[in-house]
Amino acid sequence: MRNDWDDDRLLGALSQALKARQAVPSWFIETGKNAFAWHNIDAELAQLTYDSNEDQREAAVVRSETASIRALTFTSAHLTLELEVTGNSLLGQLLPAREGQLEIHTGAGDITTTEVDEIGCFSVDPIPESPFRLRCHTADGTDVLTGWITI
Amino acid sequence: MRDDPHVVALVTRASGGDQDAWYELVDRYAPLVYTICTRYRLSNHDIEDVGQNVWLLLVEQLGKLREPAALPGWLATTTARECLRVVTAASKAERLGTGLDDSVLFVDDTAIDEEILVAERNAALRAAFAELPPRCQQLLSMLISDPPHSYAEIHAKLGIPVGSIGPQRARCLERMRRSSALAALGEGEEKIDIRGGEPGA
Repeated sequence: MRNDWDDDRLLGALSQALKARQAVPSWFIETGKNAFAWHNIDAELAQLTYDSNEDQREAAVVRSETASIRALTFTSAHLTLELEVTGNSLLGQLLPAREGQLEIHTGAGDITTTEVDEIGCFSVDPIPESPFRLRCHTADGTDVLTGWITI
Repeated sequence: MRDDPHVVALVTRASGGDQDAWYELVDRYAPLVYTICTRYRLSNHDIEDVGQNVWLLLVEQLGKLREPAALPGWLATTTARECLRVVTAASKAERLGTGLDDSVLFVDDTAIDEEILVAERNAALRAAFAELPPRCQQLLSMLISDPPHSYAEIHAKLGIPVGSIGPQRARCLERMRRSSALAALGEGEEKIDIRGGEPGA
């Protein structure tokens, strides 16, 4: 308990506490509240198992110039998603190859859908500017959700 | 830091799907996440990006948080990691090398630890303030407003006789001091001094 604080000190501390809360923009709070839409999503989570940026980050310590293609891999028990940035679009493939539907979810809650063809290929165009995640429903009933992606 | 029973309850409720509990958690800890972002001098766009990731990660972790007392620490380190990711990506885009410039080095672990303590204390103070009767809240708000209101203005607005303002201020603060929200603050926090805590600031 703050028995050791005199009135002026407590009032000063309260003033700072209220100011710290007021300094937070309302859009920042909204972003946090909206995140709850992702609670208890009933899909298998695919973890990021490869990111070319991580390789580059280490390489950047010795070489500041790196020019390779951004590539990401997400893996779950039943499905692997391989992604590659090509120009303004994101090309991907499901492994093992299978047909299905791909949803692109943005943090703001927008969802767009694209088809996954019979050899498991798809493209996301344009690439969302804000963080997004991919959810994949395949013809055989697999439902996989990637972690958040920022390109 | 001890387990604040209120925070434990919020985490349990939110992980059970209670949206209001989640909103309260966001409200309580948004200043911590936001302050760390500003320490990394991120643009608003990047702050939104980081904030989004941090809250989304927390949503996924809710059911796995064994000790809700660890929540502020988890939020702070996750936010710092996300900020670093954004700063590194930006500097890489500009071909500035490793991205480890002064603004990044400035945010060391000690600074983050202090942000956690300050954020916990501030959250407890706001919670204690919220538990006060409306009259106390009005009076204290007027006393700490910037610029501060004079006793004459407080008398005009709240109808409290000028001679009673001092004693009422003392009573309201004593109530705050005794609130359960402030009691939850741990003893490890005692030695942390209030930054810029000059009387009546």
